[in-house]
Amino acid sequence: MIATMRYEFHMQLRSRAMWVVYALVFTVYVAVDRSFFTLYLGRGVEGEPKTAMLALGTMVGALMPVAYGCMVADRLVRDTRLGVAGVLDTTPTGQGSRLIGKYLGVCAATAAPIALVFFGRAIVFAVAEGEPTALGWASTTFLLTITPGLIFIGALTLTGPLLISPMIFRVLFVVYWFWGNLIYPAMMPTISGSIFDATGGYMEFGLLSPERDPNVIPYGPYPGAALNFLRPVASPTVAFLWLGTMLALAVAVLALARLHLARKAT
Amino acid sequence: MRIELTDLTKTYKGNVHALRGLNLDIPTGMYGLLGSNGAGKTTLMRILVGLIKPTSGTVRIGGHDIASGEGKLAVQRTLGYLPQNLGVYPDLTARRFLDYIALLKGLDSRTERRRRINELLEVVALTEEADRKLKGFSGGMVQRVGIAQALLTDPRLLVVDEPTTGLDPEERIRFRNLLSQLAGDRTVLLSTHIVDDVAQTCRSLAVLAKGRLVFHGDVGALVSRAAHQVWTVTTSGPAPTWGRVVSALPEGTGVRYRVIAASPPDPTARPTDPGLEDGYLALMESDRLTHPV
Repeated sequence: MIATMRYEFHMQLRSRAMWVVYALVFTVYVAVDRSFFTLYLGRGVEGEPKTAMLALGTMVGALMPVAYGCMVADRLVRDTRLGVAGVLDTTPTGQGSRLIGKYLGVCAATAAPIALVFFGRAIVFAVAEGEPTALGWASTTFLLTITPGLIFIGALTLTGPLLISPMIFRVLFVVYWFWGNLIYPAMMPTISGSIFDATGGYMEFGLLSPERDPNVIPYGPYPGAALNFLRPVASPTVAFLWLGTMLALAVAVLALARLHLARKAT
Repeated sequence: MRIELTDLTKTYKGNVHALRGLNLDIPTGMYGLLGSNGAGKTTLMRILVGLIKPTSGTVRIGGHDIASGEGKLAVQRTLGYLPQNLGVYPDLTARRFLDYIALLKGLDSRTERRRRINELLEVVALTEEADRKLKGFSGGMVQRVGIAQALLTDPRLLVVDEPTTGLDPEERIRFRNLLSQLAGDRTVLLSTHIVDDVAQTCRSLAVLAKGRLVFHGDVGALVSRAAHQVWTVTTSGPAPTWGRVVSALPEGTGVRYRVIAASPPDPTARPTDPGLEDGYLALMESDRLTHPV
């Protein structure tokens, strides 16, 4: 598992395509939302590192995961496409270990550009404001609001192309990302804003920033939205429930993929 | 390492019979597996290395039943496999690729791994290219990397599936010689549809046709299947119509035909000594008559 993790990490990190795709997504994003360049990142609370880092988390976690998912999507099936799978599958290292190793290595490497953008901006903030605590809030925000979603969508996008071609899967994934995570819930039936939303809103409003006025930015049941039973009012307990949901979904998806691979061998 | 196949059957979805009740005993040494495309060779190889499971029947390798998890693992620890159309990670160097496979094969000691990889790069004559990315390698070089990865753990069983397909003549000869040298006290199972590869490397072989075992024994026995059936006819007229023309070589103003036929295909036909290819073709011809579908 360690060997696979290490090699997959390095191979993905050296992939030029990954860096190009991230650069394009980032360029489009900052062209549309200029607040990335303002010191308080659009939330207008001067010198308040926690709010600024949470705002940064929301920004980075909105679109960068689209590139993340798309770049993870071909990494499992490419072993078969390249013709390496035949050799790998006859080694004594089990398929399950390799799947986990690949998952960890690929996801870590693909998340690296997101971390680079996030922490790079956090460092600029900390230096400009003379607020080293911003780095602490940056780490907490990244770990608790962005990482759980990446853990889930990493599992989903790594294994999804076992069922359909990576290209079609990528299109479906982009549609899923906007429909299931970014769309306003009252617009149409969606899991956006629900416990299955991967953008980390429950962690932000339930645990890290519970003092936020729920009338300004509500997090919980949306007036007029369908599926509101999936949108409990944000609280620390619900924040951890969301975290558990993301991890459980990732484990379930990987377990199903393992079963699928084992069945294919018959 | 002895391989015993008993009533081995593989049926794919759609009732496609890839293997039909195979019984075969493969001894230690170099062993050829011949058959036309679609004969079931690759299916058999993939079962032997544990990539797919048979529909029924048993496979015992070195005494291990590969249907059990422990048996499969025990075999995979002593196995080297070069699949048909081996692929590589294009952005890894040959050395890094081998290092990765070595780790997966359980060569945990870095020193030991490094030593073994250097040794094998030498064996397959790739030392100079070891630190070049694999995307720049020719087909023959990739095949050599393939054989190196198959040998990493000094396997007792080496399974090579159509290894010379796509290689130029020089690479083919080099590859065949390498396989022969490796045989020694190993079992090397060479699957191919190129008769010459078996003729140049194996003493024993099996022939598959449409999933059935139609021959197993030594090379001489297969050659003798064509005894008194191989003729040469030199003519400037049309090709002989009786029998099967194996080759046609321009000679002077005419053409010299090599023909397999039970009786002389032409009054001027002269008998000649059969080769392995003649034996194989005679066998396939008689099999077609006895099993037309």
